Amino acid sequence: MQASARNQKHRLATIVGLLPLIIFLALLLYVGLNAPNFMTIVNLKLVLAQSLTVVLSVIGLSAVVMAGGDDVVSGGIDMSIPATAVLCAGIVAVMTGAGQPAILAALAALVAAMLVGVVNAVLVTRLRMAPLLATLAMFVAVVGITNVITERKRLNLNVESIAALRGDIAFGIPLGILIVAILSLLAWFFLHRSKWGLNLQAAGGSRDAAEISGIRVDRLVAQSYLVAAFMGFVTGFFTLARANGYSPGAQDNLLLEMVLATFLGAAFSPRRIVTVWGAILGAVLVAAISIGLKTIGVNVFWTDLIKGALIVIVVALSAISQWAQ
Amino acid sequence: MNTVANQRRFSFRKIVMRFGFLIVFAAFFLFFAAWNPVFVQGQNLLNIVEGSAILIIIALGMTLIVATGGIDLSVGIALDFGAAFAVVAMKSYGMGWFPAACVGLIGGSLVGLLNAALVVGLRISPFLATLGTFFIGSSVQRIFTNGGGPISHRQMQDGFRNIAQGDLFGIPTEVIIAVVLVVIYYFVLERSVWGRQVHAIGMQRSAAIVAGIRVNRILIACFVFAAITCAVGGLIAAANIRMFTPLSGFSYLLDAIAAVFIGAALHPRGRPNVPGTLAGVLFLGMLTNGLNLMGLDFNTKDALSGIILVSALALAVAQRNMRNAD
Repeated sequence: MQASARNQKHRLATIVGLLPLIIFLALLLYVGLNAPNFMTIVNLKLVLAQSLTVVLSVIGLSAVVMAGGDDVVSGGIDMSIPATAVLCAGIVAVMTGAGQPAILAALAALVAAMLVGVVNAVLVTRLRMAPLLATLAMFVAVVGITNVITERKRLNLNVESIAALRGDIAFGIPLGILIVAILSLLAWFFLHRSKWGLNLQAAGGSRDAAEISGIRVDRLVAQSYLVAAFMGFVTGFFTLARANGYSPGAQDNLLLEMVLATFLGAAFSPRRIVTVWGAILGAVLVAAISIGLKTIGVNVFWTDLIKGALIVIVVALSAISQWAQ
Repeated sequence: MNTVANQRRFSFRKIVMRFGFLIVFAAFFLFFAAWNPVFVQGQNLLNIVEGSAILIIIALGMTLIVATGGIDLSVGIALDFGAAFAVVAMKSYGMGWFPAACVGLIGGSLVGLLNAALVVGLRISPFLATLGTFFIGSSVQRIFTNGGGPISHRQMQDGFRNIAQGDLFGIPTEVIIAVVLVVIYYFVLERSVWGRQVHAIGMQRSAAIVAGIRVNRILIACFVFAAITCAVGGLIAAANIRMFTPLSGFSYLLDAIAAVFIGAALHPRGRPNVPGTLAGVLFLGMLTNGLNLMGLDFNTKDALSGIILVSALALAVAQRNMRNAD
């Protein structure tokens, strides 16, 4: 009798837990029924292409959240990834614009990105600064430096190898999507299937327990910020390719979408934790919703409202299902 | 011999521990003063305080929320709503300036009520809840203004204009409002039983519940109180430029967070506190003003203040760590 009551409660929690995904799919289905063109391969490619920069940055963010724990204020979070991305995009655009070879520009961008990662890691693991605060301040500083480098101007791209990320097709799939898919697989393997990744998750899950069992938590946390900085570096190239050049101000939207996708992703996962797959799924779904709403002619001003409501609904549902369990 | 050296080292450490941030504050002050003598003139110092008035007000609201252990990303929305409700009440409904200001405060409190409903009612973490409020609030402003155009109100009544432009015995009204709010916040948060309870919730929530503190009731009050405070900032902003500019509150968010955390790092136990927040805001205000007077171009100034912000925060936190290690 008691067992069946518990069972029932458990089932209820599972259903509530699945609701976020169901809501998303229902919304997409609604869009699909109202706009027959939406559920086509062409549009799917468009959605994926639209989500690439967010997907790349959520991979970095989920590594940091997994290593630091998922409390948003005191746990791991890296708000500086979008700033790193625009910094790299700015450096590459300015250097190639001045006639430097693309390889040299990319190297300079990589060095800059890694510097940001190292500073983040030092602030968080040595000075024990709250990650939210440290990376938010770094976001401001890095965007400021980017504005000095680019003089806040729009810069056109004249490097074909970067433009190829948007236009070229390899093995029947757009090159950019292919590269991001491979990177996602690698990230999944390293973060969820390797010893390093499991240690990382242990560090984030319970810092004390991880330290007692001999895991060097600080080193893993520091490494997660370097991974995030590297993903910011990669994101930079896709930002360049997508806008066909550097345009100032791309970081704000990316920041919001990155955070939205990562924590939506946590609501999709069975244990309500941030995972690479969840975050990527979140990024793609957010892009799909944005494009879908545009397709059925919803006023652009409303999309933010719908995004905000989605965060609230999804996060609330996941909180309720956890509580019911 | 050794002990003497040790003692000297320790006393040096102690000085850094106690006054590290203040020394940097003073160093910047002297640097700016040496660069441009105008910086230390009374009028300019008043300019710094006047320019920081809105940020102080927003940062006070943020201090209250951070003291409960949360964070409020929607302070800017509360500011915008305060400004919008007041301007629309005067312009479209012909209200007098005082009722209109009250309408503005009520408008701001709506943002706090939404936050409270999400955090207390639905148990969403404050970061995600207020991020949701931020999205929703931004969108509402865009829909309302049809894309984000400002609503200007040139024939604003003098009473309302005086909120920002008037003065009392030569002191600008906005500074007086800010000082009054600082005093109120100081006594409520640092010197009252209610303030102790707020800090208790922020330090250890489960212990606060066990101790019989009405956690939910206090959290709701904090979110509403903070939002109304931010709406006061909105009234000043609207009175200053005689219009409501949508989405203008966002620019205060990062500075407010920075000021609160600089202040928390200055506190012996690392708690957010009103005097610390005030020091943080004045530091940021001095920085902006000083860099402006150096005649740097806009982008360089931005980058420099960002880098100084990171360093100042790092220093403040290092100072706290050293203190805790002893």
